[in-house]
Amino acid sequence: MRVEMFEQHGPWKGPLAVSAGLHLGLILTGVLLGWAFTRAGNLWGVGNPMNEEHVVTVQMVANAIPLPARENDPNSVLATDSSGQSQPMAKPPEPEKEAIAIPGPTEKTKPEKIHRATIYQRPAPVPLASNKIVPYGSAPAASAPYTAFRAAAGNGGMTFGQNGSFADKYAWYVEGVQRKVSENWMKYEVDPGVQTAPRVYLTFEIARDGTPTNVQLSQSSGIPSLDVSAVRALKRIDTFGSLPGDYPGNKVSVEFWFEYKR
Amino acid sequence: MKRTAIVLAALMLFASAELCAQDAQINTGINKGQDRVRLAAADFKSLSNDAVLPPLLQTFNTTLFSDLDNAGIFDMVSKSFYPLEQPGSPNEMKLDAWNVPPPNTAMVAFGNLNVQGGELVVAGWLFDVKNSSSPLVMGKQYKGEATDASARSIAHKFADEIIQRLGGGIAGIAESQIVFISNRTGNKEVWMMDYDGANQRQITTLGSISLSPRISPDGSRIAFSSYAHGGPHITMYSLELNRFVSFPRFEGTNNSPAWSPDGTKLAFSSSMRGSSEIFISDISGNNPKRVTAFTGGNLSPAFNPKTGAQIAFVSGRTGLPQIYLMDADGTNTERLTDTGYAVSPSWSPNGQYLTFAWRRKYGPGVPGSQDIYVMDAASRKWVQLTFDSGVNDFPCWSPDGRHIVFESIRDGRAQIWTMLADGTQQKALTTAGQNFQPNWSFK
Repeated sequence: MRVEMFEQHGPWKGPLAVSAGLHLGLILTGVLLGWAFTRAGNLWGVGNPMNEEHVVTVQMVANAIPLPARENDPNSVLATDSSGQSQPMAKPPEPEKEAIAIPGPTEKTKPEKIHRATIYQRPAPVPLASNKIVPYGSAPAASAPYTAFRAAAGNGGMTFGQNGSFADKYAWYVEGVQRKVSENWMKYEVDPGVQTAPRVYLTFEIARDGTPTNVQLSQSSGIPSLDVSAVRALKRIDTFGSLPGDYPGNKVSVEFWFEYKR
Repeated sequence: MKRTAIVLAALMLFASAELCAQDAQINTGINKGQDRVRLAAADFKSLSNDAVLPPLLQTFNTTLFSDLDNAGIFDMVSKSFYPLEQPGSPNEMKLDAWNVPPPNTAMVAFGNLNVQGGELVVAGWLFDVKNSSSPLVMGKQYKGEATDASARSIAHKFADEIIQRLGGGIAGIAESQIVFISNRTGNKEVWMMDYDGANQRQITTLGSISLSPRISPDGSRIAFSSYAHGGPHITMYSLELNRFVSFPRFEGTNNSPAWSPDGTKLAFSSSMRGSSEIFISDISGNNPKRVTAFTGGNLSPAFNPKTGAQIAFVSGRTGLPQIYLMDADGTNTERLTDTGYAVSPSWSPNGQYLTFAWRRKYGPGVPGSQDIYVMDAASRKWVQLTFDSGVNDFPCWSPDGRHIVFESIRDGRAQIWTMLADGTQQKALTTAGQNFQPNWSFK
């Protein structure tokens, strides 16, 4: 028995066009919603704080657990920017040979103002040409002055003690201090609008048992959030480890600078 | 909730599904800091031809290297990169052989072993090979019996010294112990082992079921719950006297004891007054005071080890067990987990973080494994440490705050596993029988 209704073919082009249009509209709505919600950011009082913000937790957890952060720098090939040859320690500036000049009548020689920048001189970073990229394991010992270090957020450095002799003798301790401070310095505490900032200088003392005391801001960078983040980094640290056994003093004074670079 | 509903609706379409997958990705760009210290642990040299030395030397070298490797703070240089000449003393040490590739290391630990008058004498040095003017960081000498156990113990001590010097003052854990439950003898008994799984030894032989062992802060006693006399009852074993010491047997079920960090109080869960509540008594069991008052079961208390003023515990007052936080006198109860099934809280030594086992999707037919999580107690933010690895439970922090030991049922049998506190370097410590509920000593 043939049933007529199965033979009927209704118009299909119209409904198909409508259906395709609705599907397209649904897809576009989904794309727009997804785009809108990822752009909306953190809305006050909205959303489940447990799910949204645990992204930040990895930073927090990783930084207060006393493990060194994992190396994850895709940009650096070597530990320093040098081409792999050992760099000598910065030589003290050689005294200029005196030119014998006829002294003028009222010439006064101004004493040369020593800027901090001249003392803490970092070698200018050399752009790494492709022929200088050295495969792992075959580069000579990368060397950098012990008082410089690099962190994700920028650079830092320090002097130890009165004339730096502590750093010569106990370089391993100085490196440990650098490591601990850079682990505890949180980039996200600095105002996100800041691109680069002048240095902020902190001074503190390390007592015999390794606890940092008397943390002072000796020179501000002009950006309050950076200053506060530097002081907070020091406050998070309980101890650097007791001072080396054969060091005669009771404490070590440290001047530490942080340089922020986004 | 509304936002979640809208997002779920848009999940059907692949474009929005891709954007939601972006939301779920964890950003692992953590603050980088300095590179790890590159450390080489050269094989120690033997100074004499005594026949008893070679096996001791072997034990010492393997133990030292694995202790430094396990510490989690060094980038250990593999032994195949070391120069051929073995330094046995500072005179034989050539800095230029070590601070260039292939070893390219920053620190070297080396030394020698000798047997003098039946005693094992070990001298070890730690050199900073990048500092040619004064490379000596540390020099130590140890004396002990000429036995394997003594060689291992000296290696642990030396490794701990190195870890403390170079790790920013936090003491190493190479000499710490882990108590756990093992059923390899047929019954669940309390066992103990070194932190690396060596030296596993049985502590109790009650012939019954023992659960949740907890070692005291001074390492002299183990409190656990036992079914040996019905109960279960809290039982106290003294490691110094090698016998049980008395503890009152309260009515009902009594389990999950926890020591306060000053060693003067014991918190445990007891149903002596009806439902399971948390009680706090002194360590002889006198004057138990109830600190919770909710039905539904309250157990697994854990004192904050830094302050002793807070207790994290598990409560089923809302149905499934969740983690709660309260002050040590029972006030200010706050709930930490919001969903699923969360058990076994354990504090980090700095009192900032809690680790616990959480099954976030709980229910029949719902796929979901139980994993170890770490949560910041102040901000309630959490991170997951284990993934796709079966049922993981009973996590416990190490005293240096860098490691977590836990029970994991992979391959169907429960074993004790250890990992770094960021979830990496997971490895099994036990293999015989089935092993449960580890607890790390306080030092």
